[in-house]
Amino acid sequence: MAKVSIKLNGQRVEAQAGSTVLQAAKAAGVDIPTLCHHPALKDIGACRMCVVEVTGQREVQPACTFPISEGMEVTTETPKVNALRKFVLEMLFSERNHYCMFCEMSGDCELQSMAYRFGLDHWTYPSTYGPMPVDASRKHFMMDHARCILCRRCIRACEDLVANHTLGLKARGAKTFVCADMDVPFGDSTCVSCGTCLQVCPTGALVDRRSAFGGREKDVALTSTACTFCSVGCEAEVVTRAHRVLRVEGDWEGANSGLLCVAGRFESLEDGRPRVSSPMVRRGANLVPTTWDEALDQVATKLKAAPESVSAYVTANALNETLDSFTELFQEQVGASVSQLEPSTKRLGLPSEQGLGVIDRADAILVAGVDLDSNHRVVGYAIKRAREEGAELRVYCPSLNGCKPFGPKKSVIRDLKAGIELCQGAQQPVVVYGLGLTPDEASQLAVLRGKASFVALAPAANEAHAASMGLASGSTNHARVAYLLLSDQPQDPLTASLAGECEFVVAHAAYEGHVTEKADVVLPAPLWYEREGTFTALGGRLAQVRPALSPPPGILPEPEVLSRLADRL
Amino acid sequence: MAKPKIATDWLGGCAGCHMSLLDIDERIVALLELVELTSSPVTDLKHPPEEGVAVGVLEGAINNTVNLRVARQMRQRCKTLVALGDCAVFGGVPAMRNAFTTKEALERAYITSESTVDGKVPQDPELGRLTKRCCSVGEMVPVDVNLPGCPPSADAIFNTLSALLEGRAANPTGDDLKYD
Repeated sequence: MAKVSIKLNGQRVEAQAGSTVLQAAKAAGVDIPTLCHHPALKDIGACRMCVVEVTGQREVQPACTFPISEGMEVTTETPKVNALRKFVLEMLFSERNHYCMFCEMSGDCELQSMAYRFGLDHWTYPSTYGPMPVDASRKHFMMDHARCILCRRCIRACEDLVANHTLGLKARGAKTFVCADMDVPFGDSTCVSCGTCLQVCPTGALVDRRSAFGGREKDVALTSTACTFCSVGCEAEVVTRAHRVLRVEGDWEGANSGLLCVAGRFESLEDGRPRVSSPMVRRGANLVPTTWDEALDQVATKLKAAPESVSAYVTANALNETLDSFTELFQEQVGASVSQLEPSTKRLGLPSEQGLGVIDRADAILVAGVDLDSNHRVVGYAIKRAREEGAELRVYCPSLNGCKPFGPKKSVIRDLKAGIELCQGAQQPVVVYGLGLTPDEASQLAVLRGKASFVALAPAANEAHAASMGLASGSTNHARVAYLLLSDQPQDPLTASLAGECEFVVAHAAYEGHVTEKADVVLPAPLWYEREGTFTALGGRLAQVRPALSPPPGILPEPEVLSRLADRL
Repeated sequence: MAKPKIATDWLGGCAGCHMSLLDIDERIVALLELVELTSSPVTDLKHPPEEGVAVGVLEGAINNTVNLRVARQMRQRCKTLVALGDCAVFGGVPAMRNAFTTKEALERAYITSESTVDGKVPQDPELGRLTKRCCSVGEMVPVDVNLPGCPPSADAIFNTLSALLEGRAANPTGDDLKYD
């Protein structure tokens, strides 16, 4: 790309043609103060903190939106621009309640840090704001309008990144407020609670209910990991303090470009089920806590007694290391039949090798048999974004909810043929499919092999690895001993029925539920943020899972439990 | 030459800034060798002397008519007025009541708060009346030096007072400038 030469604070610098003054300055290592700018968002020049002097321009210009041109002379620090920046801060501080001493964000706030930088020791204008609404209608985070500086980062995140378009502004001047849809409470709006706005908010206007006042950036620890709640495998940072998880944040550098969904960001920390805290064995009607040795000895004895009548089930949400040890132990050492608990998309016989990247480049997208409104939501955000970039979208899922809230009405099709034809006529078509397809529909889609990129959205996060281990779903009849490795997965009645007829049931699970209550031996498992390992996410990407907290004493990593069990056989 | 005089007083605040002033520890001895503390809420004499002082220090926001009277008197009787702490500089915690009407604020404080039984709003004529809005000292009288902080650190207070006595610029910078 062509280079343009400009003079920045008297120094000649080369920058990419078409970049803004802010980008050029950043590349040259010159710091320009900003507030409404966020690296992941499009710049709109809302706050005017980044004003600079440009020779030949009648007035100062916002660096974040002003494009550079050959020979341009820019000065970033002059008494004039610094006075203007301080003026902007005084206006912002006096406009609403920006008292730091009772604000959740104090210490991490970008407005506060700008005020320190410019030595703002008071503001000239009286703060005449009246009562300011607080919207606490959303479950996971709330909005205190009194802390809002109207930088519109949240609005741009909702628009540019999530393509949800819930947020906007209402009214004008000092009465301007961020609002949802046609000015309804956030909780009643089309908001999907992905929390991207919460993550980009520079002040304490958007507050995470769980982590509020839990600790400032300097007090907390960050662990880079991957969300294990679906196969997208969003890269995330878990924020912890004093052995407690405060919140989960998206990693801007990650494969998912910082986006998370409500399941990964909020619901992942709100599992209310009681936890299994130590190994337990059945004594009569009761499960009683015991040592690992006693519990594992009991399991080993049963496994050795009748290996041919052992059925081993593992959740395909387990990490690669767990799946590997599990199949090695049960398939090779014990000689039992091994299956995965969740149904697999493999049975549809379609390709599944593609990841999120193909969606961004697609010109036609067919969503078939998958409800992106309640699962794999981040894929849904990518598709909505692609649609706004011009990709044609067709949604076919009669067996689910029809995906009505997901795509516009005209994109919902009743006949799969319309979607297939669209893909055949497109340059870079993408088929996003899931288990809502019947085998017959899947075979219709097979004509697009070689033409379209296929993205398989399986119910289990690590289906790709489970499939590569040769695991399939299904139950074995006549098993007398069942070992179920459930991790933190829900123990629905269907799973419990797998254990129903067995004489001896081992439940290896993080939480109590239908399976553990019937089990003869219960082995505790770590939670998602206590596990370490890898899993094979969408497109075959190896996602790294790192422990943000160590498991409570007495709870061992799954592979270690399996290896201790193997030693006893 | 007589030692320069300092007077302090508090308005609508929590006394925390005065605690921070006392928190300058043994340096208070050095400070008192250089200056004379004529009056303060923590000494016997409460009001600044009529002949005036060099430095007047006010903590707290202007929340009622008595606060306003005290602030005006201090302004008249001092050469340099220091607004000490977030309440004096910005309005701070007491200014939270600006989001409500005066009536709502009084009822909440004296009648409907959870720990109150048979409460009533005090009506004694000796008490000041709440001003319509709670505001910073600077909104009512001219302030020369603003030292925000909740409270400002003992170091910040010491540095500001020493700078004033030595005739240097007293505006807080670096670590002395804190809002919380």
